[in-house]
Amino acid sequence: MMNKWDIPGSVEKPTVNKDTETLRSDLLTLNMGPQHPATHGVLRVEIKTDSEVVAAAIPHLGYLHRCMEKHCENLDYRGIIPFVDRLDYLASMSMEWTYVAAVEKMLGTEVPRRAELLRIMTVELQRIASHLMAFGTYALDLGAFTPFLYAFDEREKILRLFEEVSGARLLYNYIWIGGVWNDWDDAQLTRVSEFLDAFEPETRKYHTLVSTNKIFIERTANVGVVSVQDCLDYGATGPVLRGSGFKWDLRKNQPYGLYSEFDFDVQVGDGEHGVVGDCWNRYIVRMREVGESIKIIRQVLEKLEPGSIMGKVPKIIKLPKGEVYMRQECPRGELGIHLISEGTDSKEPYRLKVKSPCFTHTSMLPLMAPGQMVADFVATIGSIDIVLGEVDR
Amino acid sequence: MLNELAAKINAAVAGANAQVLQAEDAKCESSILVEGTQIHAVCAFLKSSGSMNVLQAISGVDYVEHLEVVYLFAKFDPAAPAQLLLKVRTTDRVNGNFDTISDLFPAANFQERECYDMLGVRFNNHPDHRRILCPDDWQGYPLRKDYVTQKNYNGMEVFPEGKMNMADREFIVRQDMIKKAQEAAAGKVQ
Repeated sequence: MMNKWDIPGSVEKPTVNKDTETLRSDLLTLNMGPQHPATHGVLRVEIKTDSEVVAAAIPHLGYLHRCMEKHCENLDYRGIIPFVDRLDYLASMSMEWTYVAAVEKMLGTEVPRRAELLRIMTVELQRIASHLMAFGTYALDLGAFTPFLYAFDEREKILRLFEEVSGARLLYNYIWIGGVWNDWDDAQLTRVSEFLDAFEPETRKYHTLVSTNKIFIERTANVGVVSVQDCLDYGATGPVLRGSGFKWDLRKNQPYGLYSEFDFDVQVGDGEHGVVGDCWNRYIVRMREVGESIKIIRQVLEKLEPGSIMGKVPKIIKLPKGEVYMRQECPRGELGIHLISEGTDSKEPYRLKVKSPCFTHTSMLPLMAPGQMVADFVATIGSIDIVLGEVDR
Repeated sequence: MLNELAAKINAAVAGANAQVLQAEDAKCESSILVEGTQIHAVCAFLKSSGSMNVLQAISGVDYVEHLEVVYLFAKFDPAAPAQLLLKVRTTDRVNGNFDTISDLFPAANFQERECYDMLGVRFNNHPDHRRILCPDDWQGYPLRKDYVTQKNYNGMEVFPEGKMNMADREFIVRQDMIKKAQEAAAGKVQ
């Protein structure tokens, strides 16, 4: 665009009048993401800042949208399992189990006891791996690099076990309708037990290094506080809801699988540092849940007995006319699968809706952001631990 | 339990016309269907009476003869956990609309946007009525049964033919290349 003084014939020259010039004091729009390392994937948040203070945050989603719900309408019930793997790719086992449980509920399948126990074991191992990832990346967000390396070291051992038993490191396709695909032999189970024995002291190291670290507490305590009522209104679940002090865990409150047989506690934020509902409490809920998962896996190893790992399932799965809404407790919150079948003529679902916990948590960012510093907003995004594969589906 | 709740809704909200849709198969779930115009009042009743305190998701289904919106509610109460599938229907595929419930349950804000994005159902008085997962200028609603993907988007071909993963197409291309190479070689010899 041409300036006034560039027009030929104009004699007016630019002058800076210090008296009349006023500094612009309106809000600055800043784009965070989608290629920002602290947004855990391809989240774009448009933030309006007043100097260093965030006035508003608007999440823009859809950069990873694959419309898997539409894909699933053209796939048979077994073919959908690899697709649900790709929702929350850091907790594929939990995704698989929720979907498979929805199909099994409509089919009325009985799952053998050994398969149920193996499911609980794999899902709890997956929960540890997922929480380790959350721990490592959260510390990374706040400027600490070393915990990330420690966390990945331990996570790698879990992935090795999964790789041996399912053939894949991230997207397993391991939990099948009626049971599990592959059995764990005694040597592998011994390695699980050895891993837990070595890992438990490691977690204490994490607490010394990070949880009780003064700088970490300064960065996370009293930051991004949400009340229980806000959590319920926004539909938050998992560590976000428990971090606010609401004792709710589907494994305990509406037990599925064989969870009612297990002895474990539901961890809630207790305000040991900061106030209940802040970033530190959400973080510590995850770290304490790792301990609970270790407890559960130890009990599984005691209970395991030889037996079948696959129930009786027809070769071609056809579900009766109707619908179910199945919810399970995944590492990031409650995953819900709303499955509608049109009747036994069809091999494909009529509609599959995924209720994603991360999608819900992302919708809370506009609530949490106002009044925070930009650096604190990074801490807030990290503390709700989102995976964009699940947000965008 | 659903029958009781439906009776309560009918008593509290005039014109709600709540009826239980009993599942044909015992393994499936039953749901409650209410009048679309009264959805805001029904949800307000569910919240104020404490029947349900969490809106988990809003799902939409295209049954071709009508569009259905399913509100997936849950009760987070350790003493009496529950869940509810609340449905509304519209036969208007062009202008089908319901009142927003995002003032009662803020969770509905994103969920209604997704429902609009995927099914093309509109929500009146919504604070931020835009698409959420698809781009703002995308055409059509992907989860409708009669959806056809648009051919072009911002000057780009959506499914470029040359990039379709079809084995026979690759074979034809290869034949062309061989033919071209042979012709070139023959030209050199002459």
